[in-house]
Order: sequence, then structure tokens, then C-alpha cells
Amino acid sequence: MHTMPNSIQSSESNPDIILDVRKLRTSFRIAGEWHAAVRDISFTLRRNETLALVGESGCGKSVTALSVLDLVPSQNGRIEAEQIQFNGRNLLGLSEDEMREIRGNRISMIFQEPMTALNPVLSVGHQVAEALLYHRDMNKEEANRAALELLDQVKIPSASSRFKEYPHQFSGGMRQRVMIAMALACRPDIILADEPTTALDVTIQSQILALLGELKRDTGMSLIFITHNLGVVASIADRVAVMYAGNIVEIADVDSLFAHPTHPYTEALMRSIPRSDRDTETLHSIPGQVPPISRMPDGCRFAARCDLARPICRKLDPALQQINAGSTHEVACWVRGDHDLTAIEDRANG
Amino acid sequence: MKDHHAHLYRPSTDYSHTDAIGRHVDYLCPGAYCAWRSGTDYLGDQASAAALDAMRERLGLNRPLLEQYFEFMGNALSGDWGESMVTGKSILGEVINVLPYTLELTFVSVIFGVVTGIPLGIWSALHRNQLIDYFVRLMTLIGLSFPAFVSAILLLIIFSINLGWLPVISSGGRDDFIGWFRDLALPALTLGTIMTAYIARVTRSSMLDVLSEDYIRTARAKGVPNKVIIWHHALRNALIPVVTMVGLFLGVLVGNSVLTEIVFNRPGLGKLIVGALGQRDYTMLQGLMVCYAFIIIFINILTDLTYGLIDPRVKYQ
Ligand SMILES: Nc1ncnc2c1ncn2[C@@H]1O[C@H](COP(=O)(O)OP(=O)(O)OP(=O)(O)O)[C@@H](O)[C@H]1O
Ligand SMILES: [Mg+2]
Repeated sequence: MHTMPNSIQSSESNPDIILDVRKLRTSFRIAGEWHAAVRDISFTLRRNETLALVGESGCGKSVTALSVLDLVPSQNGRIEAEQIQFNGRNLLGLSEDEMREIRGNRISMIFQEPMTALNPVLSVGHQVAEALLYHRDMNKEEANRAALELLDQVKIPSASSRFKEYPHQFSGGMRQRVMIAMALACRPDIILADEPTTALDVTIQSQILALLGELKRDTGMSLIFITHNLGVVASIADRVAVMYAGNIVEIADVDSLFAHPTHPYTEALMRSIPRSDRDTETLHSIPGQVPPISRMPDGCRFAARCDLARPICRKLDPALQQINAGSTHEVACWVRGDHDLTAIEDRANG
Repeated sequence: MKDHHAHLYRPSTDYSHTDAIGRHVDYLCPGAYCAWRSGTDYLGDQASAAALDAMRERLGLNRPLLEQYFEFMGNALSGDWGESMVTGKSILGEVINVLPYTLELTFVSVIFGVVTGIPLGIWSALHRNQLIDYFVRLMTLIGLSFPAFVSAILLLIIFSINLGWLPVISSGGRDDFIGWFRDLALPALTLGTIMTAYIARVTRSSMLDVLSEDYIRTARAKGVPNKVIIWHHALRNALIPVVTMVGLFLGVLVGNSVLTEIVFNRPGLGKLIVGALGQRDYTMLQGLMVCYAFIIIFINILTDLTYGLIDPRVKYQ
């Protein structure tokens, strides 16, 4: 038995771990039936660590982050988990008021779409000051002053004159900075950054990445960095979790992952990183697409798109396990994992 | 073509000067046009050619259409709206006499609709697909489906006849607040409930749209309390379509006030226009058209200014 992934380390015994998510399953009701968008995933986040969540569109990256903050729409969404332990405290079963104390204060989120994530009728300054108003013992003036400092900190030019302006008067990059200022306001322990740079052009993108790195170093916070671009990951992450169709299929330290990409999906993602030393002809996109959550196949969900797939892959879902004993590099693959395939196939058939 | 009612409406008074837009009204109104051209409407079937010519001369009908139009507009803008063909009274004077009654009725009804409709819509949205929501949706649907004159009569039966609380005839009393209120209450309630129903439904659906917007999730992620999210973050956005709707339906309300004023026998533009229609008082009608046009333009300007108040993306240079 070597199917005990992150649960070996427990946050009770390890105060270095700020977030410990176990068996998180988030489902949505579609046409009267519940379908899991995130399926029993477990991961941990250390203090001052950056964990990257990587995967194509629709893999469940945003849903994972939203689940941590309990922001999945309650109308048609449902979160189940063994635990979502933050700083030694289980977030599951906290009341709405207790949860609100944590949101934007201890854990905050930078959203994917800077164009729609800011309120069009409220001034940018007010939207940044708000988190301070509700979490810190500040009056309006103090909150505004602090918000102005934050806007300066994220390098918005002439912040004081733009404080009272509205989101539509800001460019995409500037709005993303406003979002970052908002997330930083209360000096949270964790920032969940959901593709904070995807909507931006390359120069702005690297500026924002540098800014996040700087802030992480200065404040000692932890970062969950969501992206579908493995190229960005190398420069910012300490650890990487590769997600496919609601599962974590590979998780490893960033160096180990780039040195030994093990899951066929990870390999495919690596091949699709745009690189300046290769021309676009050899840029591989992965054929096919992530299945919608209402039509998930049995077995390994990547099997249909996998060159290495064997009959067992379409029957049984592989669990995460270490690529070799004692390693922190884990993969969920029948072919590439450390399995005695013939024995398993025999058992499956017999 | 002979007008069947020609002999019924034979004015006795001297309707002298008239104005030009009336011509357009006539042209758009086939029966009236024939009657008008022949002059038989007013002078009778046996009118002499000379009498007809004299009338055409007096009304300026023998002049080119454009000339008639510009003369009327010039006069109207300088405050001369002409006189009623039937009573000979100044049209502007008549309008100014009754306009306050219509305006106060419309104004109070809209205030009532806004004050009740918006909270009702929000309440309904926050309890989406629960009993409260179904109840509000059913009630507002009933409110929308009742024509004003039916609900007016029902209200009269209940509050004036059965309960005897309020007067049957609303003369638009102005002597004291109680009298004013008693006279206004039922007509305003009739129109106000229609407004409530419209506003509640629009508020509900726009609130639901806004609550699923990304920026509401952002506010939640910041730990903003629920009350603040609803009243501060969501409501201002949700009000934008409500303002559009109120602007549009103010026009409908002015139209509905015609029926309400008749049922309650209340003075106002609506009663004036129905009276003028009945008597084929074309000059009065065209004056009232102009008056309605001004009201609609005024409402539109007001609507646009309100947008600017709630939506910073709207800017006036
Ligand atoms: N509110 C919802 N209702 C129904 N299905 C949803 C909802 N939110 C997400 N999903 C589904 O869950 C799956 C995962 O979505 P998620 O937004 O987490 O993807 P993602 O990995 O963040 O992709 P992207 O890179 O496009 O942001 C998708 O199939 C999506 O359609
Ligand atoms: Mg996403």
C-alpha cells in the first residue's frame, strides 16, 4: 500500500502547514443531477510557499480555490470534504459570520477576470478600502489612507488622483493591480490568485508576477497560483499540482516536476509551453478537450486523450502515489506510476 | 363621405382663431378629415359654400400645410396655444388649470410604486423560488393583468361604498392635507399598484442578474457583510434597468390616468382630452398633444439625468 499521499503530514503535528485540504469534492447540480467538478482532491500549503494549480480550461482550478473560501454558488453548488484546515482550524462547518471574518482578512482571492470582478458603480479607492473597513478597526478616513498606500504599493501611477475613479476608467492591467491591492489589504496569510495574469499582455504579465513575488517575500504570505500556462509556473512556484478533470494527477516540487514530468498529461502540457527557441510549427496543442463534468468517463479521465492508455486505464481510476518511495513527487497514472500492472489487470479481469 | 355624428356636435359659440398642427391630426384621422374639409361637422349638412369658405379662412385651412405648421409652432412657443373650438377658452389656461392634478396623481403613484415595488422585488429575489417569491410573483402578475379601470372600480366598491372610508368622487380637494389625501388616495392607489407590480418584477429579475455577477462574488470574498452587499453593491447596479422601466411606464401611467380620472371623476389632463375627443374639439386636442409631448420629453430628460446619478459610466458633457 503506497496510496497515502499528503495525509502523512498532518497540520496538527506540523505548524508549518497553513492550509491542509483533504478529500475536497465540489459538485454542481446540472439538470437535476449532481456532478463533481472537483473530485476528492487533497493538498497542503506551507507558510510562505507558492503552490501552482495547473491545467487546461475546465479542470476545476477555480472551483478548488472558490471552495476553500466557501464561495461556490449555493444555489446549485455543494462542497464536501474531510477537512479544510486553515491554521489548525477546520473551515468546514464555520458559520457564515465566522467565514466572513476569514474572507479578505486571513485568506483573500484575486479573481480571474479583471474586467468583471470590480463593481462598476463604486470607486476603485472605496473597493480597496472596504476590506479594511470591515476587518480592521478603522474609520473611513483611515481606511482610505491605507487603501491609497496599497494602490501605491501595487504601483498604480498617480494613485491619489485616481483614487476616486471608477473601474471603467482603468485598463485591464491596472484593474488587475487594483484586485491585488484589494487582496493584500489585510495582509492575509494566503492569497488565492486565480489566473491573475491571463488577461494581460506579456510585459504587464511579467510586472504582475514580479510584484506578487516581491509581496510574498516581504509579507511572508502563502500563495496558491492558478494558471493554465506551465511556463509561468517555473518562475513563480515552489510546488506544482497538475489538475485534470477535477483530479490532481501529479504533484511535485517545481524542480522535480520540470526534471521528471511523469504523467502523460503533464508531458503534454510541457510540450505546449510556447518557447522562444522553438518556432510555432513545433508547438503542440493537446488534441481533444476536457470533458464537461456531466459527461465524465470511468477510469482515468485522461485515457481518451492519452497515447499510452491501456485497457485498465478506462476501467479503474488511478490514485496519487509517490513515484518512488519517500519522494514528494506523486503521480496518478497506471502506466507511469509505480504499479505492478499485470497483477492489477489480472485482478480487474478476474 | 358624410359623418354620421355631424349634426350632434354643432357648436354654438364662435371659435375663431386656430392653429396648424390640427391639420396633421385631421390628416391622420380619416373620418375627421372628411368632415373637416367639408366643414359639415360644425356648420351642418346644409351649410352654404360661403359659410364653409369663411370657416376655412378663419382656421387657416386654405393656406399651405407647412405655413400652417410653422405658424402654430411659433405661436405655441410664445405661449399662444389658441382657443378651444367649442368653448372658446384659452387652451393653455385650461391645461394649466388641470395639469397640477394630473402631475400630483402621477407623481404620488410613482413614489408609491417605487417605495413599495423596489423592496418587494428585492425581497422576492432574496427568497428566490421560495414561498415568498412565488407569492410576490403571483400578486404582481395579478396587479399587471388588471386594467386600471377595473381595479379602480374594485377599490371604489371596497373603500368607498362598503367601508365608506374614502369619497366616491375625488374632486382633487386642496383645502387641507386630510382632504387632499382622501381625494388622492384611491386614484393614486389604482395607478400606484400597477407601478408596484411593474417595478417589483423588474427589480426582482435585475437583482437576480446582479447577484450572480462576478463583482458580487468579489465583495463576498472581501468579507463584506451581506446587508452591505445587497444594499450597496447590488442595488445600485440593479436599479439601472428599473430607472429605464420607470421612465417608460411614466408614459403609460399618463395614459392610464385618463381612465382613472374618469372613474373617479377627477379633474386632469385625461378628463380634458376625453371631453375634447367627445366634442371633436380639434384645437383643444392638438394643444393637449403638444402638452403630452412636452411631458414625455421632460420624463426622458429626467430619466437620463437619473442614470448619471447612479451609473458613473454615464457622463454628460
Ligand atoms: N456554477 C457552476 N455551475 C455548473 N458548473 C460549473 C460551475 N462552475 C464551474 N462549473 C464547471 O466545473 C468545471 C470546472 O470549472 P473551473 O471554473 O474550476 O475550471 P478552471 O480550471 O478554472 O478553468 P479556466 O481555466 O477556464 O478558468 C467546468 O466544467 C465548469 O463548467
Ligand atoms: Mg478558472
